[in-house]
Amino acid sequence: MLELREVARHFGGVRALDGLDLDVKQGEIVGLIGPNGSGKSTTVNLVAGVSPLSAGAIRFRGEDLAPYPVHRRLQLGIARTFQNIRLFGQLTVWQNLWVAQNSPTDHARRPFLRRWLGGQSGVRDEIARLLEFSGLAQRQNELAANLAFGEQRRLELGRALATRPSLLLLDEPAAGMNAEEIGQLRDRILRLREEGVTIVLVEHVMQLVMGVTDRIAVLNFGQKIAEGTPAEIQRDPVVKKAYLGGE
Amino acid sequence: MLDLLQAAADGVLFGATYSLIGIGFTLVFGVMQKLNLAYAAASIGGAYAGLLILHVLRGAPASAVFFCAFLAGGVLGYVVYVTCFHVLPLSHPLASLMATVGMLLLIDEVIVHTTAGMPQNYPALFEDVMLPLGSLTVRGDLLLVFGVSVLGMIALLLLLYRSRLGLATRAVAQQPVAAQLCGIRVARVNAMTFVITGLLGGLAGAMIGASVGTLSPLISTPLTTKGLIVTVIGGLGSIPGAILAGLLVGGLENVFQLYRGVTERDLYVMLLLFAFLVVRPGGLFAPSGGRR
Amino acid sequence: MDFYWGLVQIIGVHSLLGLSAYIVVLTGQVSLAQAGFYAIGAYAAGMLTVIREWHIVPALAVGALLAGAVACAVGFPALRVKGLMLVIATLAFGEGIRLFFFNFDYQVAKGAIRVGPLGGEGFRQIRYFPEHGWSTFQVMLFIWAFVALVMAALWWFDRSRYGAVLRAVGEDELAAQSVGVNLTAVKVSAMAVGGAIAGLAGGLYAHYTTHIEHASFNILLATFAIAYPIVGGLASVFGTVAAVIFVQGFLVEGLRFLGDWRNLLFGALIVLAMNLRPYGFLDSRALTGLGRLLRRKAADA
Repeated sequence: MLELREVARHFGGVRALDGLDLDVKQGEIVGLIGPNGSGKSTTVNLVAGVSPLSAGAIRFRGEDLAPYPVHRRLQLGIARTFQNIRLFGQLTVWQNLWVAQNSPTDHARRPFLRRWLGGQSGVRDEIARLLEFSGLAQRQNELAANLAFGEQRRLELGRALATRPSLLLLDEPAAGMNAEEIGQLRDRILRLREEGVTIVLVEHVMQLVMGVTDRIAVLNFGQKIAEGTPAEIQRDPVVKKAYLGGE
Repeated sequence: MLDLLQAAADGVLFGATYSLIGIGFTLVFGVMQKLNLAYAAASIGGAYAGLLILHVLRGAPASAVFFCAFLAGGVLGYVVYVTCFHVLPLSHPLASLMATVGMLLLIDEVIVHTTAGMPQNYPALFEDVMLPLGSLTVRGDLLLVFGVSVLGMIALLLLLYRSRLGLATRAVAQQPVAAQLCGIRVARVNAMTFVITGLLGGLAGAMIGASVGTLSPLISTPLTTKGLIVTVIGGLGSIPGAILAGLLVGGLENVFQLYRGVTERDLYVMLLLFAFLVVRPGGLFAPSGGRR
Repeated sequence: MDFYWGLVQIIGVHSLLGLSAYIVVLTGQVSLAQAGFYAIGAYAAGMLTVIREWHIVPALAVGALLAGAVACAVGFPALRVKGLMLVIATLAFGEGIRLFFFNFDYQVAKGAIRVGPLGGEGFRQIRYFPEHGWSTFQVMLFIWAFVALVMAALWWFDRSRYGAVLRAVGEDELAAQSVGVNLTAVKVSAMAVGGAIAGLAGGLYAHYTTHIEHASFNILLATFAIAYPIVGGLASVFGTVAAVIFVQGFLVEGLRFLGDWRNLLFGALIVLAMNLRPYGFLDSRALTGLGRLLRRKAADA
């Protein structure tokens, strides 16, 4: 579904990503791990279209993504969450989900004027479903800025889902979560897989990555140093060296 | 052709004052990521305040007036800082912007009130001196304006690149949080930035008064616009850009005036800005590294 | 009594000007160009009723559409310029429009006299209202009919998805893009709508004041235009109108007794207002507080 070929990104003298090859098959959950600065978030930004490629190509369902700006990639079915939560703080939970109603099915179903100027009626059910999935139904009229941290993370995920993606890029969704929240996140990710969403999970929290992914790719200094199942990665000495340094 | 060169030369010399104003806008933007719309007005205000010394010491030399304007500019700069930037939450930039507009209006009105709206004569030096340079004539007073402005710029650059305060200022401009963590008092650096740009502004105002011969509160609006244009053309946050752009705008403005007259002149300066915005929105020199 | 209707007229036109800035500022674009679009609407509508002898309503419509079209054109290069640079660029644009009209001559002979804009002299004799026997009161009602219309339209926008999307763009462009919002469409459309509203305001201004000149469309007016939504708070259209009433009604008129000192107080009051209430008079906190107060009153009753 997603192919990265010799993807590179440099700016100034920094080589954030240096010739990355990665394949993600439909329905998989692929983990992307590595020490800080290894290029994980850069990869997400490149696939999402936020940063331009310095070299290489990214293909989604066989099509080169280069001509597509950020908001159009959403129409193709690619959604992402942000490492440092970027919610619309001055809008309510409900409105945050409303703004994100931009999927192709949405566009097909509702004509232009109704989509832009219409009131809340048409999308009430969909948003209710998202609220239920994110466990935020009680808080739907609260300003996003007033939510507790865990709730904000759930809203961030819910908003990405509002766009009905087929590929979801999660950028460190578990950062700052406690064990219980991580467990809930794991359940949500698995539920999403059941619904047919392909997921790329960038993460530091090992218990989540090892427990939920089918395959993991390990980055260091902008290059892929290992790839395999969670079990294989855990045993790999190269990976251990990258994280812990030295022998 | 000769007229063109003469106009350009005169304009470039005068343009040094625009450079100073541009530097003032660009430095505050570089350090605090904010726009101080009251800057040009404060500069003119400083120039007016320089005249106060004539009330105290009748017959004081022009240089005393200039020096007074220089100091007054610094004081006004600090006042603007305190009223518009010290208390206001930095996270709400629009409020600061509006406050500086308020100060702009206030300063203009204070000037109008204390001078009863009458333009004031400004002392000049070397206004009768004409130095021949080939087939061109270099006006003595403009040369002084240029010289003093350049001295001001050199002093600023020395301060920025050779002093501890300058180092702290550059640190804050690049990474305010990290600078704070290194023990730099960001509020003090910000205040000093305003004082320093204020000093330069007072000097610029005095120089403008000296070369034109009179001061009137009507100058501050077009000066604000031109200063902003210089800042944009030079690149927001870039001092060398502001210097170059100021000279460029000064020279071109005079050339436009030669060919199309005073009323249309400003329109062409505006078109110059739009040309830049379309072709090179970053300005001549995009700011070096620093925060995104 | 006419004097008070005149004041209400001014408040009405400035409300429209403030609302034109409101919709643009919601998207995070601080535009000092609204006075320029206002000028375009003023000259265009004036020329249509005076030179071509059109009825006022289509003249106003054309003025608004023209201003909106220019604003749309400005909206595209505005995308390339971020944050404070946009402030400067729009300020320069507004000044450019003013300078254009400073140099603009288009006079036509009407009987014995010549009518039409004449550069620095301005555009005199825009006498549609007096020639058709409108009283000050009727003009005031006419203006406020438009104000009510625009307020209702913007209030409805705010309740629609477009309104939420506008605010989302204003808050975080990257996040908005990442959930599929087309930034270009949103920002340019907001600029165009704002321009059209400003053009409408300008057309009304030209007719009730009967004489317009370039100097009226200066930076001060441009600043007023965005001051209204900033001082009034961006949470609702009512904040902007409240700010207009405060500034024009209280500050400009109410302090008239102070004579010359009034102008002095102006600047000082703006500085004070910003320091005391940086998020505007009616910011979201104030609105929710107000809402709770009203609901409690209703519950008690």
